[in-house]
Amino acid sequence: MSSLWKEFSKGLWKDLPPFKLVLGLCPVLAVTKTAYNGFGMGMAVIFVLALSNLLVSLLRKVIPAKVRIACFIVVAASLVVCVELLMQAYAYPLYQQLGIFVPLIVVNCIILGRAEAFASKNPVLLSVADGLGMGIGFTISLTFLGSIRELLGTGQWFGMQVLSDWFEPVRFMVEAPGAFVCLGVLLAAMNAFTNWQRRTKGLEAVQGPVHDCKTCGMCATKPGA
Amino acid sequence: MDYFVLVIAAIFVNNIVLAQYLGNCPFIGTSKESGVAIGMGLAVVFVAAMAAVITWCVQKFLLAPNDLGYLQTIAFILVIAALVQFVELFLKKVIPPLYKSLGIFLPLITTNCAVLGIAIICQREEFTLLETLIFSVASGLGFMLALVVLASIRERLDLARVPISMKGTPLGLIMAGLMSLAFFAFKGMAS
Amino acid sequence: MITASVLVLFGIGLTAAVILAVASKLLYVYEDPRIAQVESVLAGANCGGCGFPGCAGAAQGVVEGKAGANVCVIGGDSVAAKVAGIMGLDFSATEKQIAFVDCTGGVRAEEIYQYQGARDCRAQHLLYSGAKMCPEGCLGYGTCVTACQFGAISMGPNGYPVVDPNLCTACGSCAQVCPRGVISIWGMTARITHVNEVNDCLAPCRQRCPGQINIPRYIEQVSRGDYAGALETIRERIPMPLSIGRVCPHPCEGVCRRGNVDEPVGINMIKRFAADWEMNSGTRLPITCAPDTGRKVAVVGGGPAGLSCAYFLRRLGHAPTIFESMPKLGGQLRYGIPEYRLPKAVLDWEIEGIIGLGIDVKFNQFFGKDFSLESLAEDGYEAVFLGIGAWMNLNLRIDNEDAVGVSTGTEFLTKVGLGVDTGIGKKVVVIGGGNTAIDAARTSVRLDADVTLMYRRTRDEMPANMDEIIGADEEGVKYLFLAAPTRIVTDDAGHVTHVEYIQMELGAPDASGRRRPVPIEGSETLIEADTVYTAIGQKPELSCLYDDSGTCTLEETRWRTLGADPDTLQTALPHVFTGGDMHTGPALVITALGEGRKAARSIHQYLNEGAPHVPANMQRDMIDYTMFTHVPDVGLRERSTMPHLIECDERTCSFKEIEGAINEEQVKHETCRCLRCGLTCYNRDLAEGQTCDAEECLKNQ
Repeated sequence: MSSLWKEFSKGLWKDLPPFKLVLGLCPVLAVTKTAYNGFGMGMAVIFVLALSNLLVSLLRKVIPAKVRIACFIVVAASLVVCVELLMQAYAYPLYQQLGIFVPLIVVNCIILGRAEAFASKNPVLLSVADGLGMGIGFTISLTFLGSIRELLGTGQWFGMQVLSDWFEPVRFMVEAPGAFVCLGVLLAAMNAFTNWQRRTKGLEAVQGPVHDCKTCGMCATKPGA
Repeated sequence: MDYFVLVIAAIFVNNIVLAQYLGNCPFIGTSKESGVAIGMGLAVVFVAAMAAVITWCVQKFLLAPNDLGYLQTIAFILVIAALVQFVELFLKKVIPPLYKSLGIFLPLITTNCAVLGIAIICQREEFTLLETLIFSVASGLGFMLALVVLASIRERLDLARVPISMKGTPLGLIMAGLMSLAFFAFKGMAS
Repeated sequence: MITASVLVLFGIGLTAAVILAVASKLLYVYEDPRIAQVESVLAGANCGGCGFPGCAGAAQGVVEGKAGANVCVIGGDSVAAKVAGIMGLDFSATEKQIAFVDCTGGVRAEEIYQYQGARDCRAQHLLYSGAKMCPEGCLGYGTCVTACQFGAISMGPNGYPVVDPNLCTACGSCAQVCPRGVISIWGMTARITHVNEVNDCLAPCRQRCPGQINIPRYIEQVSRGDYAGALETIRERIPMPLSIGRVCPHPCEGVCRRGNVDEPVGINMIKRFAADWEMNSGTRLPITCAPDTGRKVAVVGGGPAGLSCAYFLRRLGHAPTIFESMPKLGGQLRYGIPEYRLPKAVLDWEIEGIIGLGIDVKFNQFFGKDFSLESLAEDGYEAVFLGIGAWMNLNLRIDNEDAVGVSTGTEFLTKVGLGVDTGIGKKVVVIGGGNTAIDAARTSVRLDADVTLMYRRTRDEMPANMDEIIGADEEGVKYLFLAAPTRIVTDDAGHVTHVEYIQMELGAPDASGRRRPVPIEGSETLIEADTVYTAIGQKPELSCLYDDSGTCTLEETRWRTLGADPDTLQTALPHVFTGGDMHTGPALVITALGEGRKAARSIHQYLNEGAPHVPANMQRDMIDYTMFTHVPDVGLRERSTMPHLIECDERTCSFKEIEGAINEEQVKHETCRCLRCGLTCYNRDLAEGQTCDAEECLKNQ
């Protein structure tokens, strides 16, 4: 049980994507114009991530190592099609809002990254816990980022007017540049917090998580190879 | 449609990275050295154009007639994965020098949402085959432009004194934001 | 609809699979399966230290034969063994390479230039071309420290990076980021075969030392108490710190920058201290040698040059054999330098250590008689080093030179060295002003003779060491300056009774810059003598190079020495190298040792690459801009003096060693006097605030 909780909870802070595990930046930047969009995207990712982890873990002994990446992609793509269809049926406005980024969940590094790095090596329950934890962490991050951008950019939160007239909305925040800057500042704040913690423990400050191929885990593996 | 406008729009106005939020992972991840950035950019131009054309054909001749539009995602990603694999084999055999310089980037491209994104955008915009080709090449060039510029900036930034918490990805993102702001100025020039 | 979608997807999948399958057959590129195997055993850090782009590239390189089993710089021997296993390659333990920091001036980086902002070496280099006093030195911002993936570099207390050899993997990241090239990845072979280059961090002493010893480095090591490290530094340039610590006339001290302030640092005393420390400790420090190559090299002559050459060849992994004409090794060190300067016990101990590395020695072998270049080639020696020294004495060219009682200084010293009867009388006249003359004179004093040293110029022009001249004076050697012998007067038995000499006066300076002595007509005088030793110069005995028909395949110079390329020491025959007195004419021991190393380096290159070569920017002369004499901001500090082991009056009847070693406290003081010079930089007391500051030293004056 404790290991289950460990795998679940690591996605909530220790490996919180996309801040600690700098993965899947495109949706993070694109759909966080509003908190609602971020939340919706997060839910879609939870669905795909948990189920793909489940399936990959179930099939991990069946899938030949040589074609595993292709298999992971097919699994993820099938799940994404399901999400697309479900969203079209039950949340069409959100589907419209998220646009191209719903099908693009399939190439979100988190899905393949977790499948390759975790689910393909661990038992079913742990993999699901990992997927759920990561997905929830991702949702929280997206919602948080979306909240900030929405709040500063429009003065609203989940579509509700929160800040009154005295606040002049900063349009910049809901546009593309705002997304980059906002995420950058948040990452820096996160690093600063970590470093503050380290300093109180008498450790030396370190550079934040590096975003490169290594964190994704995909680069080391050639697809189909 | 005016092809020139299409090109300008794809490279500058709707820059795939800076305005459309596509391909951000490699954009931040491989923009540490300009040499790597150029290789990655070229690989994206190459693969994106081929993928867009082939997926256009798949959509046009396979999915649309059978009313299977909902299979777009899964079909496209399969095609792209197979294509990347094929290109790798092809380059290795036929043009080894090109494989040497682009080869290591090819595996990264399967999961590059810019490639899938460009293919899907072409479908949503209902481009013709020629427009698809032009748009995908131009978008790829836009990606490369953004990547190389950011890489050059980050190479210099490496030498700068910045708070340690800002070093690396945060600063890269903020630089990308500033670049995006600059590209924002193109907005409305062409639609 | 479900059927259709399944069919379509299946169709796409099948098509893709078929195309890929066909493609993989058609476009199949044979890839050695060993590449993947090799890659899997490599360390996987993708550090690039091997020179290949990443581990996959390295694996390919290994399979293609571009790299050996030891390609991985991180993995060490275990990985190398695995790779060798896969490839079926020979794997021999590799020598450990580590990053090596040459500059010691980091803390002084800010002296001249006030750096603004960017605290990064590369940025400084880009922005201000890293301006500081020295165009080569460390900027001291520690970019290499951050570049090291393995945490092996840290910024030392003196402002320059310090490498932890245990953590260093020689991956080369530090060397890559350093804009000044201060750090290089050096294995022992590279360090041994390196010759001074003009953009090395060469303090004046390092430029001047004929052996190219890294003097500032070993002084620094001694100052830290790291005597073993200091000896290792010295032994990368010369094999005989004990002997050199005793007999070297230390030309380095002549250019010591502190010499412009007060007196030069006692560099040789420090070397001798370290060397004595090892000998007195009773155990020999281990000397590492490269893996055996099994290539045989003949070293003709077991003097300083030959010993040095054999020693370095051995350390480079080759198999040298020394051919010595005498019954013992050492050459002039044994037979030319008297016991009181270099005790035979010390020399024996030192030579034992060198031979102990695995060098073959054949005694009583005369070149040209017992063996020849041809016979050596037949015996499988791939290269030959000729270092037979300069043992032939120049003649006085005066009457009765061959009279009984007249002999050469070297013969006399050799006889003393061999312990045979010298036939010395009571009234000895030594002719000459060099070290050999002084040695002969001081040795004669010890054999209870009344000695007069006759020299045709004055004391100031004497080429002998000042210490020696003073020492001889103290021991009662009488000097007769401005006197040139004109005739040996003999009795009826042909035995010498007097030397007739003519008074000289100094005229205009000659080509060598010394004032030429001119005889004063009619000033001939007689001086009584029953023994005369001439020591007016030596030259190599080159007759052994000539075959019976009088031809010589090698080239003889007009100074009667063996001609060779001055940089590579390669003679007219590509596989024959020379060095030492045979090449230079009579010179210092340290010069011979240095030439021995140079020759070993050339032979190593000749064996491995086919031809020896030297870097284009090799340092040959003193580098002008480093030789300034105005050295401000340095406090005075008194030089330690070498204690004398025995008193003056006792000296004349004893061959015991005269000079003792300074003690540990004095060594500390002496190392503290070192200004830690770079090319142009040096420690300014006022800025540095070292333990003994300028005022304190002034008080002690």
